[in-house]
Amino acid sequence: MIGLFGILKMGAESLAAQQLGTEVTGQNLANVDNPAYARQRVLLQTATTIQTPIGQQGTGVTAVSIQQVRDALLDNQIKSETSVTGSLAAQQLALQNAEAGLGEQISGTSATGQDGLSAGLSNLFSAFQALTTAPTSLAQRQVLIQTAQGLATQFNQVSSRLSDVHNALNTSIQNDVTSGNQLLGDIASLNKQIVYAEAAGGTANDLVDLRQQKLEALAKLSNITSTAQPNGSVDVSIGGVTMVSGISQVDSLQTYDAGGGQILVRAQTAGTPLTLTSGSIEGEINVRDGALATLQTNINSLAAQLITQVNAIHAGGFDLNGGTGQSFFTGTDAATIGVNSALVADPSQIQASGAAGAAGDNTVALALAQLANNNIAALGNQTFSQNYSQTVAGLGQSISSLNDQVTNHDTVMSMLSTQRSSVSGVSIDEEMTNLMQYQKAYQASAQLITTVNEMLATIIAMKTV
Amino acid sequence: MRVATSTFNNEFIDQLNLLQQNQLRLQNQAATGQKLTLPEDDPAAMQRVLNLQAESLANTQYQNNIAALQNQATSTYGAINGLKTISDRAGEIATLADGTKSPQDLAAYATEVNGLIQQAVQLANTKYQGDYILAGTATGAAPFVATTDSSGNVTAVTYQGNTSVAHSEIAPNVTATAQTLGANTTGSGPRGLITDSGSGADFLNHLITLRNDLQAGNTAAIAATDHPALSKDEDNFLFHISANGTLQAQLTATNNLAAQHSTDLDGQISQDRDADIAQTITQLKSAQTAYSAALQSGSSILNLSILNYLH
Repeated sequence: MIGLFGILKMGAESLAAQQLGTEVTGQNLANVDNPAYARQRVLLQTATTIQTPIGQQGTGVTAVSIQQVRDALLDNQIKSETSVTGSLAAQQLALQNAEAGLGEQISGTSATGQDGLSAGLSNLFSAFQALTTAPTSLAQRQVLIQTAQGLATQFNQVSSRLSDVHNALNTSIQNDVTSGNQLLGDIASLNKQIVYAEAAGGTANDLVDLRQQKLEALAKLSNITSTAQPNGSVDVSIGGVTMVSGISQVDSLQTYDAGGGQILVRAQTAGTPLTLTSGSIEGEINVRDGALATLQTNINSLAAQLITQVNAIHAGGFDLNGGTGQSFFTGTDAATIGVNSALVADPSQIQASGAAGAAGDNTVALALAQLANNNIAALGNQTFSQNYSQTVAGLGQSISSLNDQVTNHDTVMSMLSTQRSSVSGVSIDEEMTNLMQYQKAYQASAQLITTVNEMLATIIAMKTV
Repeated sequence: MRVATSTFNNEFIDQLNLLQQNQLRLQNQAATGQKLTLPEDDPAAMQRVLNLQAESLANTQYQNNIAALQNQATSTYGAINGLKTISDRAGEIATLADGTKSPQDLAAYATEVNGLIQQAVQLANTKYQGDYILAGTATGAAPFVATTDSSGNVTAVTYQGNTSVAHSEIAPNVTATAQTLGANTTGSGPRGLITDSGSGADFLNHLITLRNDLQAGNTAAIAATDHPALSKDEDNFLFHISANGTLQAQLTATNNLAAQHSTDLDGQISQDRDADIAQTITQLKSAQTAYSAALQSGSSILNLSILNYLH
């Protein structure tokens, strides 16, 4: 027998246990809206039994630990999925910005009135066509100059906007690297706190939650490998290079110029370029050097061929004054294309004639107009318009594919999040039920103490008597 | 499956987002009448529409070219018809100027033919929008330069133009010209209107010869030489009138084809670009209903928990 005092102790420990349960329930309820929080529960166990002549007798309850309800497998799956989604989202955003920069959209109900390069190209060749019917008309020549300048300006603007997207991606990469290094530092710091806290006994549940949140934030930036250690720390490596080991950050991310302004990422201390396979940094590099670079190359090739082909024909023509040899376009690519300033100042210098002294000859103007239907070898044996529409469709296909992938991965992410919530999420209904349970148990234990107290009083009263 | 409080909230928000995205897409389609706006909407359709729009713009320009050529042809016809009228009168005079006419009659005819020569030279140097229409492609200078004597009578006319004509596209790889050469003495290429070595026409010089013979009273030469020569000129004018008519008909027919092609292209573009409004409105109403139902059901469930029943 444990005696009345033993019962009192049992009651007191029960009160403490139910109170702890209430506190943990309160913690859960307070964090019901905290997405990084994993619900906790008190693990109660019967206290040490004692041997009595009539067998083992229990001595009450004791709280042995506060457990965090978390599924490590789900956490890892979510980390991986976050990394993939981070890459896809970065690529999607960049290409949608590029799509806006290209400025090609279908608007209105007629072919006229469109604003993109496609309409610009068509208008240029239409202006050449119009010149063939009035080769000596200064008004028609002025229209041609203005149309050509409009197209050149469109090319310049598209090139500038795509360059802005390129530069913005480089800035994003650098910002993400900075954020990544901050997170690596935070993880190392949390490792240290967790190790020290758990060395004293128990688990540092809240710190673990915070560290998991940091790991997922880092995974969004880059593919990471995290390895849990027996002492409670988590080692983190990126691209095979260890960044966090135990309680220390041993390396960090660094951007560097791989040549030609190509910003890549490497490990700062080890100096090795990192092989990134997912995360927003990888997505930004992938799209910058992939789909965006392809788009810029195609637009530049289109502009370059337009300059080359038009100038080759124009140079052999004659203007209204018999002059010859001038180019129509200046520049070499989309960024630099312009109209020869001499022609802008004096449209009579447009060399539309194929013969000197024959102002009404339109041979060169006709050849320039018919250039619209020529298959250009350097453009994949396509016409200018066909090549451009293929470029636009290619961009659209890239974005459409990314949209589908993002949607699919969002669905997977949603499913994983729902599964994790079902394991680790706080249910108000559940916690309120637990709260009532602990309350009733507390009341019962208090009643036990009151009863034992009365029994003690009775015994003491016996001595007095 | 255990359902945490956040699970319902998060999924409710996700579902509302999906419903709103769908509504927004359908609303944009209904407002613009288009299902295709950006390349990402339908890349293959975007490529087709851009190509069709380029073709449509080119087709419109062909129609503009046709209109320009029709105007040029009309202007040229005016000159040809004027010259034909002069040719008719010159032919009449050549017929009337026989041996029965007095020297005064012949002199009067000579004066009239002198006037016809000046009219003919003026018509031969007709301009359209600042260009000489019978100069070939050397449109900057008057093609026919007259040499006059001290009395102002035209004694000779020389051609200063060239024998090239300018072509414009009226359909893909199909060109046409509305230009008529004033003269062609090369024996090949387009027929000259005033002078043509192939047909024997040399209208202005034949008029000068007729006037000279009238002034000299040489009725025999008029009958034997001038009258046949003027007949060749007349035939040449008839040829050009016919050619002009043929050109006009070709341009009209080509324009009709282009107009039909434009309509066909618009139809093809519409298939890829335009939304089915009736279907879009129906889908939009359905999406709005689903959104409304989600809001209603979600809001009623959101308000419920065990807290409503604890006292």
